[in-house]
This record gives sequence, structure tokens and C-alpha cells, in this order.
Amino acid sequence: MSLAARHLEANGIPTVIMGCAKDIVEHCGVPRFLFSDFPLGNAAGRPFDGESQALTLELALRVLETAPAARTTVQSPLRWTEDAAWKLDFSNLDRMTPEQIAERRREFDESKAIARTRREQA
Amino acid sequence: MAAAPEHDVPIPYMQRTRDYYQRLGYAAYRWAHFTDVPFTPLARPLAQSRLALITTAAPFQPGAGDQGPGAPYNAAAKFYKVYSDSTDALADVRISHVGYDRVHTRAEDPNSWFPLAQLQRAVKAGRLGALTPRFHGAPTNRSQRVTTETDAPELLRRCREDGADVALLVPN
Repeated sequence: MSLAARHLEANGIPTVIMGCAKDIVEHCGVPRFLFSDFPLGNAAGRPFDGESQALTLELALRVLETAPAARTTVQSPLRWTEDAAWKLDFSNLDRMTPEQIAERRREFDESKAIARTRREQA
Repeated sequence: MAAAPEHDVPIPYMQRTRDYYQRLGYAAYRWAHFTDVPFTPLARPLAQSRLALITTAAPFQPGAGDQGPGAPYNAAAKFYKVYSDSTDALADVRISHVGYDRVHTRAEDPNSWFPLAQLQRAVKAGRLGALTPRFHGAPTNRSQRVTTETDAPELLRRCREDGADVALLVPN
């Protein structure tokens, strides 16, 4: 998605990204980025929380209209939960049992095979 | 103000993912990385601009397995070509085909990854001039070559065709 933003921007269309993966988006390098420190899947705001979603959009629009230069990141002031413990869980093998790890490996191989078939058919 | 704990920082996804795949025995992924970043100033105020929404969410596909809420990762729900749909209605778009956080969120409210309803409100309120007649779906392809050479130019072509002045992109 960052690559698409860069391509639009380079061709005259100003862009803003709403996202939750700060390091990945900034590593690519994008013109404007509204970062929400939320679990992946909630880039547009907290589920079932219209106020959070409205604020997230408004912040993104303000980043779009006021960014002074490329690589402008603004972090939303919203927090997912007061306790930040959720951040320790994502793809963290230290928190999984050997059985869970084996299951993850099986799922990964299976998904890859499905995606390959679908891509070849597309 | 109380000081925050050390781990209360944005998740280091690249490091976390590298460690994860290394320990599972898979090759490392290289994320896109550039030093130069393009920048185009706005040509006119947002209240007079037409915005294009671009999402990585997939259209719901009957027969493609569990697509949520709370679905396990579903590679069969992936798509491989840019698609477009109307911004007048609220399309049914899901994220079971991407690696969102399945421990701490269940993908129950599309508004948390697809801000079309909020954008429609912003247009009604006069905050935005208009939406383009279509939003666009960007494939989540692990091939940066396909994204750069095929998908990004196709998204640009569709944005231009729709007269987009600005674009909001929402990855998942």
C-alpha cells in the first residue's frame, strides 16, 4: 500500500495513509501517515466506536492538508487499552507452546499452497 | 505524568516477523525501503477536493470459506487484481485474507478498517468536496514487483479516470 501511495504522489495525487504498522510504513517511506497504535486491522478506528472512527478520519484529513513535507507521521492520541500488554503478543513465539508453533507452521504451509493455486488461476 | 513501561511502543513488526519466520525455518522477507519520498502539495482545499479511497480489504466472496468476523487466516479470500466498487453504497469488504491481529481484535466492525461511512459523513458535512464514484481495492501481494509494475499504475489510472484530487489509503 505504501508503494501505491508513493506512485500516486509521484504522479500528482496527494495521499495520506491510515495505518497501524508504524515501522513498516516508515521503512518504505511515504508522504503522509496517520498512525494509530492499535492492533492490526483497526487502522480506521476502534470497532463499534463512531467517535474514535470520526476522530481518526479527521486526523488523517488534517495530515493530508497540513503536512509540510514528505515523511510526515502523526500518531493518533487514542489508546487501544490503558495497559499496553497486548503489544507483546503479536507473532511472539516466546509466548507460544511448541504445539501452537507446529500448528502455525502447518497453517502457513497450507495458506501458501492455497494462495499459489489462486494466483495461478487469477 | 507517570513514565510508560519499556514495551509500550509501537510494535516492531519487522523485527517480530523476522524472528518469527526465522524460528519457523522460513526465508526472511525484505520490506520495501526507499530514501527518496515524493511529495505533492494539495492543489485546492479539501472542501473543494474529490477524494479516492483505496483499501486492502477484499470483497466478500460467497464460497471462499470463512471470512469473518473472527475468521482464521483465509488465503482463499485473497484477490490478485485491482477491483473497484461504488462509494454510494456500503460494500461488504472483509480482511480475513490478511495478517491482522487475531488475538486482540476480531474484525467485527468494517468501519474499523474501511472508513467509507465516515467519508460519506465528511462529504455531507462539507469537510470534503466529494468522493470519487468508486473506491479501489489493492491486492496484498508479497511481490513488490507486481505491486510496483502492475497494481500501482492501475490504481493511478483508475484514480485519474475518476477525477481524484487526493487519495486516502488504508492498509490492513
